[in-house]
Amino acid sequence: MTEKNLLLAIFEDIDPAAHAVDKLRELGVTDTHVTVISGTPITEAMLGRKPQWSNVTRFALGGAFLGLCVGIFLAYGTPNLYPIIVGGRWIGVPPTIVVMFEMTMLVMLISTFIGVFLDSRFPNYTPTQYVPEISDGRIALLIECGGELEIAIESAMKAIGAESVKRAQAEAL
Amino acid sequence: MAISASALPHAQSEEHAHPASHGTGDHEAELRKEHLMLDPRPRGEMNAMVMDSMTTTSWKFWLVAGILAVIVAVALFGAWGYMISEGLYLSGKNRPGYWSLFLVHTVFWVGISHAGTFVSALLRVFKVEFRRPFTRAAELMTTFALAQAGIQIFAHMGRVWLAYWMFPIPNQRQLWVNFQSPLMWDFLAINTYLLSSTMYLFLPLIPDLAMARDRSTGWRKSVYRILALGFRGTEAEWTHLRIALNIFAFAILPVMFSVHTIVSWDFAVAMRPGWSSTIFGPYFVIGALQSGVAAVAMVVIAIRYTMKHMDYFIRKEHLDAIGKLMLVISMGWAYFFFNDYMIQWYGGDKFTDALLHFHEAGPGGWIWFMMLITNVAIPWLVLWNKAWRRNPAILFSVGLLINVGMWAERYIIVPVSLQINRMPFLWGQDFKPGIEVPIFIGTIAFFVLLYMLASRFIPLVPVWEVQEGQMAHSIRKYGKEPVVTVAELE
Amino acid sequence: MASLPKIPEYKAEWAEGEEGRWGIAIDMDLCTGCQACVAACSMENNIPFVGEEDAAYGRQMSWIRVERLWEGEYPEVKATPFQPVMCQQCGSAPCESVCPVFATVHSQAEQINLQVYNRCVGTRYCANNCPYVARVFNWADYERPEPLSNQLNPDVTVRRRGVMEKCTFCIQRIHKASDQAKAEGREVRDGEVQPACAQACPADAIVFGRLDDPESRVSKLSKDKRATHLLEDLGTQPRVTYLKGGYHGNLG
Repeated sequence: MTEKNLLLAIFEDIDPAAHAVDKLRELGVTDTHVTVISGTPITEAMLGRKPQWSNVTRFALGGAFLGLCVGIFLAYGTPNLYPIIVGGRWIGVPPTIVVMFEMTMLVMLISTFIGVFLDSRFPNYTPTQYVPEISDGRIALLIECGGELEIAIESAMKAIGAESVKRAQAEAL
Repeated sequence: MAISASALPHAQSEEHAHPASHGTGDHEAELRKEHLMLDPRPRGEMNAMVMDSMTTTSWKFWLVAGILAVIVAVALFGAWGYMISEGLYLSGKNRPGYWSLFLVHTVFWVGISHAGTFVSALLRVFKVEFRRPFTRAAELMTTFALAQAGIQIFAHMGRVWLAYWMFPIPNQRQLWVNFQSPLMWDFLAINTYLLSSTMYLFLPLIPDLAMARDRSTGWRKSVYRILALGFRGTEAEWTHLRIALNIFAFAILPVMFSVHTIVSWDFAVAMRPGWSSTIFGPYFVIGALQSGVAAVAMVVIAIRYTMKHMDYFIRKEHLDAIGKLMLVISMGWAYFFFNDYMIQWYGGDKFTDALLHFHEAGPGGWIWFMMLITNVAIPWLVLWNKAWRRNPAILFSVGLLINVGMWAERYIIVPVSLQINRMPFLWGQDFKPGIEVPIFIGTIAFFVLLYMLASRFIPLVPVWEVQEGQMAHSIRKYGKEPVVTVAELE
Repeated sequence: MASLPKIPEYKAEWAEGEEGRWGIAIDMDLCTGCQACVAACSMENNIPFVGEEDAAYGRQMSWIRVERLWEGEYPEVKATPFQPVMCQQCGSAPCESVCPVFATVHSQAEQINLQVYNRCVGTRYCANNCPYVARVFNWADYERPEPLSNQLNPDVTVRRRGVMEKCTFCIQRIHKASDQAKAEGREVRDGEVQPACAQACPADAIVFGRLDDPESRVSKLSKDKRATHLLEDLGTQPRVTYLKGGYHGNLG
């Protein structure tokens, strides 16, 4: 019975990291078992990985639609529910458009913001695998592998040029 | 190589107009000295610089902060509290000038707040690289300027303790608000802009808060730990962040345009000669950009020359670029002003004619001329010259004068224009400034104080964005010429 | 949903027949400029006295003002019409649309423009949008030292600082008369309701009454050939008609 281990391999540069990802695939570790953690955003394509899917756009669009409905309700619905005639004319199209626009943008942006939180599972104060060197510009590969592969992976990473390879400890950030 | 480079000569390298008379090594060194993006340092070193800049203070800093705090307590909150307890008669308003300096200052601060969005959103959308070191500094200006605008708008209300009646919240009084009123659109727009700006400030701040968390101890570490939300930098987190930032950058631009347009509609929809002008929307937006970018110039220069290590991040190239922006925007402002003026001068009715004459020849005439000199003449005479643009003292002064000119523009539009109306019996001539003046000085002090306190607390330079830019820039030889190349890393 | 009263889509569609109920006709050829109307209005409506200095600074709070106009250059002044101006109670009031809290609304019964003092938060947008500059703002709580406070009219609210106010066509008198008439089971007679300004005018230059009653004095006066409205081209549909042009040399 093999146990699952978590290894953290830290690289200084992007080229060794990309080689390392290929090497891991050769060793049998699938892409889903490798998490890339970096101090600067690097696209998945730079490491030869499949792009990440994100729900943020869906949050944004849903929020935009919700905001549109809120805007229509505020500007057009509420005066129709309790009408007060001012200025000798009824609620017109231009003020309705203004209110609709503002509420659409507001709710869309708030939903986007919340979407980032929900998708990234923020805030996360539980102990996680992380080392402070990452925010100093390193690229880290968090590898989940079976126990028997550990030594092979460690030597492969060292050979490619990893700064360090060690067991990943879950610690409070 | 996984990076795809596009061989576009970078917009800033006018240097390759010079003949390569000195050795190319010199030329490369010049490029590296000029451009932050070509002068990368290890990320750890940049992190350390930013943290150092944030945590190092001197007694001079706290002295200035203390003086500002006293000014805020007395001139802003003290004077405002006194006015709330005594009545608006302490202000300079009268009939027919029911609105005066409070509204001027509200529009002034909302205008300055547009700086942040312009730099961080518009420049991001157009992938302008020189924005990288100061986007956060500009975004902070937005939040703090909107706070001051809020203070001024509350100060102008007759019964400010009932301000919550303007909120569309169902209540037991069964009363509602009037969405036909431009003031309600103002309420929605400014709140939308404030919330969106703050969110747009916070999102790219998260990775820098994580960096600060990793590099601090004590109370700072516990605060940053909470604020950084457990950000690690996984692929997923960066993806979500990047998508959200793109959405924000694109979406906050129409919000920015709409906010100052709606503020302009407070005036434009009114039946007043000189106010009822259809060009007010874009005129105010470009006015906001003008005062905003001028304020960004002032803030960036202040940061560079007062904070440690900022001379690495903010270089003459940034002053150059901001100066060029100021010149272009000033030309835009002149276009819209002339548009407004021409239409009123040529085909205006007798009241508009009287108003134009009052602008130029009335007691406030010198302010009208000052507006034109500081908004148009001085930028046009000074900012075309590259050496002058890159001189911090000159650029700071021009920025300050532009802001004075924009204040004068709003002064002409609000209290001066209100003195002329369609009932000549009630034309006003007299206007004395009242308690609005100390309140305004208090808001300026408050703005600077908030900024100073924020600089102690959050890293002012988005280091991850700077490194991202530096990763994308390189120098390569094009024939014999070293040229700057920028890769599109997204 | 409440049933909407009949209102036009666009301002231009407002039918001429819907003149509303109460209106005023002011004969500028009769007005002597004595300002008795100003004094009476201030007495009736508890308007504070701001003092000379504040009045000179444009803080005077009278709801009606008598404008002095003249034609010709001194000493060949041809005419000096006096123009009393108060809130024109516009049918299409620009002040109403811009109040963010609905503190100024249109009365459906009396068809005049109402100012709701306890709702006003003092943004003063309505005053800026009034083309007649008819509104005044309470910049301060002015004192009424004894025995001036004994003069207050119990029918009218005393406003505190921070709220807008304006001419109400003495709506308290309209209500009193309507209530009296209803109690007696009849309609209000023409001339029964007199706002303070009409009551005080020694030249009978201000006439008040029902515009929708074709037999009333004000109705007939508003159709006179000398009748005009102030700033008519703005489309505000004011309820105040000015009769002018009848001074010597101009008749004909």
